[in-house]
Amino acid sequence: MKHLIPEFEKLKRRYPAGFESSLVLPCLHRIQDDRGYVADEDVDGLCAWLGVPRIQVEEVLSYYTMFRRSPVGRWHVQVCRNVSCSMRGAERLIGHVCRRLGVEPGTTTADGRFTVSTVECLGSCGTAPVMVVNEAYHENMDAAKADALLEGLK
Amino acid sequence: MPEIFIDGVAVAAKDGQTVMEAARDAGVYIPGFCWHPQLSVAGNCRLCMVEVEGETGGWMDIACNMPATRGMKVLTNSPRVRERRKVMLEMVLLNHPVDCGVCDKAGECMLQDYHYEHNGAPSVSTVPKVRATKFHDLSSRILLDNERCVLCSRCVRFTREVSRSHALGIVARGDHSLVRCDEKRSLDDDPYSDNVVDICPVGALLSRRFLYKSRVWYLQKTPSVCPGCERGCTIDLWHRKAEWRLNALDARHNTAIERVTPRENPAVNGPWICNKARDLPDLLERARAEGPMLKGRRVAMAEALAAARQLVEAARRPVALVSSWGSNEELAAAHAALAGRFRCHVKADHAPRPGERLADDLLIRPDKNPNGRRARELFGEAPPALEGADLVLAWGEGFDFADVPRGARTILLNAFLAPENGHADAFFATTLQTERAGHYTNFAGTVSAFTPICPAAPHTVDAEAVFAALAVRPRVSA
Repeated sequence: MKHLIPEFEKLKRRYPAGFESSLVLPCLHRIQDDRGYVADEDVDGLCAWLGVPRIQVEEVLSYYTMFRRSPVGRWHVQVCRNVSCSMRGAERLIGHVCRRLGVEPGTTTADGRFTVSTVECLGSCGTAPVMVVNEAYHENMDAAKADALLEGLK
Repeated sequence: MPEIFIDGVAVAAKDGQTVMEAARDAGVYIPGFCWHPQLSVAGNCRLCMVEVEGETGGWMDIACNMPATRGMKVLTNSPRVRERRKVMLEMVLLNHPVDCGVCDKAGECMLQDYHYEHNGAPSVSTVPKVRATKFHDLSSRILLDNERCVLCSRCVRFTREVSRSHALGIVARGDHSLVRCDEKRSLDDDPYSDNVVDICPVGALLSRRFLYKSRVWYLQKTPSVCPGCERGCTIDLWHRKAEWRLNALDARHNTAIERVTPRENPAVNGPWICNKARDLPDLLERARAEGPMLKGRRVAMAEALAAARQLVEAARRPVALVSSWGSNEELAAAHAALAGRFRCHVKADHAPRPGERLADDLLIRPDKNPNGRRARELFGEAPPALEGADLVLAWGEGFDFADVPRGARTILLNAFLAPENGHADAFFATTLQTERAGHYTNFAGTVSAFTPICPAAPHTVDAEAVFAALAVRPRVSA
């Protein structure tokens, strides 16, 4: 994360002095965007730069499930399994995607291209079931649309 | 000074006080797990919920975070409050293992007390309890039972606000929340870590020292003073009650110090002590000197006293090294008996141990002896010097025979067994602070008292008695 410090310095100027711990969340987001996950050395580097005790960073990382502590595949497929999506076939969708890619939820394909995760509400219940691939929402999904989508991902 | 009404009684709250603080000052006990007078307000246990009367029916809020405002009418025991407490306790106990039978905290557990007082009903839940880690290795001194934890965050706030080690935090969330130490296990390096065991309202944080050692109701506490440094923290020594003496099992428990806890004292240590005080049994329960000796030969007390008196009478340039572990009473006796005859110096009985924290801005002080200030007041600041002495009277530990001038005779007073005890021309085994009453004066001049927890070991003598026997008038030169 060392190369991100100039960016963090700029961010820091937007916060009042003494609020270093408030920078933990935006910095972790940026680190994850950069590396794909938050590595132990990132936590060490961030603690050292912010002067925030390590446990406070660990608390944040473990509280928010969006933070990853290990790498994911090239494409991170996240399928909602909450109430609205489940009522509109999310369970079938998850099963289909996992069978097609040959993985269990939470694991990565052997070629490192796809990671499938099940997640809670993505805030798009009106277009359930919803699937997020990296940063993009794909709405009103079914098995056929998922097949077409995954086919297009290289 | 807002005047508020707690259960209909007018109470003068101090400016800036919360309802909780005003109520405690007025002697009204409002229950609560997370609130602690020395820590910040977390407001997460919701047990201190009180009712505030208002024109539109009033409202409920937590007393620990509610500022006392003029004319506020607070009810701490109304039917609404009692119902809310019962429901909150139901929730706290939802996943609690209720293993009081094997829990060290039983008998002094807030959850146990509150349950008996405010709920008392069996769980209404039929859902299996959430299982969590037990005996989690939090540090070399502390174990954590996460199933018993009520997530009050007192321990976390202690390490952030008081000891400042920032060692603890709560990871994950909801039912999965766990108190955890950071990866570097910095709780091991926190010299105040054991305080979290005291402030834990339940039996989640467990002292390894005290684990399964005794039920607390078999123990009584005796006020004492920690001799670990010149702060002189007031402590309670917990030892077995006479009516619960063990006959068949390990009889050493009858006289042992089972645990040490702080005795709250705003003038000296507040509600805290450091881990050195917790480890006092290691210091005070070392092997004891067996009795009076003349050059290593065990003799009767009277014979040793007579021999020592002869040594003093014959000496021309006697020097006394005064113990900075002596109580005020012993130091006064030493001063009255010896000062006219001996050149006296104050000796540091204990030097800082390797790796021990020297000083900080919470409690720990650099001088690792409890009564150095009073000793120096009586005997002067001059460092120990033995040149030219033909008799050395050394009192306490930290004395090296290599410093004794050639040909000089020695009188040694020591409570503990040491090989050099036998080198002294006259040796006396002295009593410990756990065997006699007395006072220490701490670095700031505050005097604290200690009281005995057990009778004196056989063949030991109070240092005062030795000094009285050695009070010899200076010889009138011919």
